[in-house]
Amino acid sequence: MGLPNASGDLSTEVEVDAFRRLFPLRFFEKHLLESIRPDARPLGRARDTTIALGAVASANGSALAKIGSTTMLAAIKMEVMAPSIETPDEGCIAIDFHMPPICSPIVRPGRPAEAAPVVAKQLSDTILSSGMINLKELSLVSGKAAWMAYLDIYCLDADGALFDAALLAAVAAFSHLEIPVVSLNDDGKIVLSEEQGLSDREPVNKEKRKVNLGSIPFSLTCILHKNYILADPTAEEESIMETSVTVVLDSSSQLLSLYKPGGAVLAYTSAIQDCIALTRQRVKELQKILEEAISGMEVD
Amino acid sequence: MSKTEYVSPEGLRLDGRRPMEMRQLRAEIGTVAKANGSAVFEMGNTKVIAAVYGPREVQNRSQLINDHALVRCEYSMANFSTGDRMRKPKGDRRSTEISLVIRQTMEACILTHLMPRSQIDIFVQVLQADGGTRSACINAATLALADAGIPMRDIVTSCSAGYLNSTPLLDLNYIEDSAGGPDVTVGILPKLDKVTLLQMDAKLPVDIFENVMGLAIEGCKAVANYIREVLLENTKQLEFRRGL
Repeated sequence: MGLPNASGDLSTEVEVDAFRRLFPLRFFEKHLLESIRPDARPLGRARDTTIALGAVASANGSALAKIGSTTMLAAIKMEVMAPSIETPDEGCIAIDFHMPPICSPIVRPGRPAEAAPVVAKQLSDTILSSGMINLKELSLVSGKAAWMAYLDIYCLDADGALFDAALLAAVAAFSHLEIPVVSLNDDGKIVLSEEQGLSDREPVNKEKRKVNLGSIPFSLTCILHKNYILADPTAEEESIMETSVTVVLDSSSQLLSLYKPGGAVLAYTSAIQDCIALTRQRVKELQKILEEAISGMEVD
Repeated sequence: MSKTEYVSPEGLRLDGRRPMEMRQLRAEIGTVAKANGSAVFEMGNTKVIAAVYGPREVQNRSQLINDHALVRCEYSMANFSTGDRMRKPKGDRRSTEISLVIRQTMEACILTHLMPRSQIDIFVQVLQADGGTRSACINAATLALADAGIPMRDIVTSCSAGYLNSTPLLDLNYIEDSAGGPDVTVGILPKLDKVTLLQMDAKLPVDIFENVMGLAIEGCKAVANYIREVLLENTKQLEFRRGL
């Protein structure tokens, strides 16, 4: 039917925006031939990233992370609970990821986004297995009371690389987390100490303290298309070229997680190693950005 | 039994405001890149983000209306928005009621007959709740609709007022709201000077109610002035970027 020719002829007549909508793959491939992407980024570069700590005043720890337009708000609330019998001196972390309808035109109320539970599970596995938080630090009174940290991450704008932004927001929120002061009252219950003045009760922990973070995980999602590797895809790129690889490294460049959920492109090991190399570079960038954000907050 | 003083003898409230003083307002347009229109609205510590998608194709064919647009609204609170973590941020009765209230308030001012067979979605998410979330949501929704370029009769602004320690108070925060006194929420169309939303609970004598409602309407007009400034500034920025 001569369809390729038809689109070739059309491409001289049709405006750029229309061509982008009608023939998205050809539009992107024209750019990839020149080793560039429609937003003028080279193939291996991620979008501008910013972190703002303490975005939610009412939470114990919070952070707002933006990668390009993708925006994630993470907040941690601490509650006291009884630890389980098998692990009497360990606390607990519950991680939840939400994609409310404001974030994207494809999310409808009553019909949650497909990506939401997938990213939630990935996040949960990565954070709990990374050893970033030592659960023994969340213990208060062995066998009786321990902290339960509820981490809620809300996607406020979904423009690709959701897992990367969510992990960054979660890690930043943990680095901002301050464990509140509590004391044991007469019934043996743990109670929040409101002021310094209530010192007739012995405080269980002396002062608000920060959590000691072990190795911090950072990630990068790459898209594979033919023999191109595109780092940090936007939502448009993700919808056209579906094969993605997510690599999670920790601050000492050890591999924490590798995630390639199927996809049309079958990758040779060399492609995966290229992805890991790109992630290594990205980890250095993200570490710098996180350190700047933390030191910015400490100027009190 | 000691009674908490919500208004001190010097005339200062718990957070240092005067009875007729509103909390600090802050608004920003265009925060959600993917939405047709979006806005963040802060009233003191209450922070709300609104996104508008539309006019777009009706997703549920059975709800399609032939002569005007369908307006949908969803209100939800983030788990961490209140003091204690919320278990069920949407689908509970309060959220459903507020979604209905916001939808009907905005429907009154959108010129729906200009967009038949289409759908306009207004999504509001509360990020921090410190009293007056209903009003903040309506104000944010107005800004988001204006950002999306949806034709409206007038902007809708909303503010709340109460009556504690025999003093009418403007713009209650969470502590004042949970004090058990009356809470009057008003939504108006400022230029047309018409009331679209009026809700009150607890008891109040009728003459005092008129004072309190008058105070709330003054608050709405102050919010309207602020919103107009923000929209004007935004338009100037757009003009500048287009090189006009």
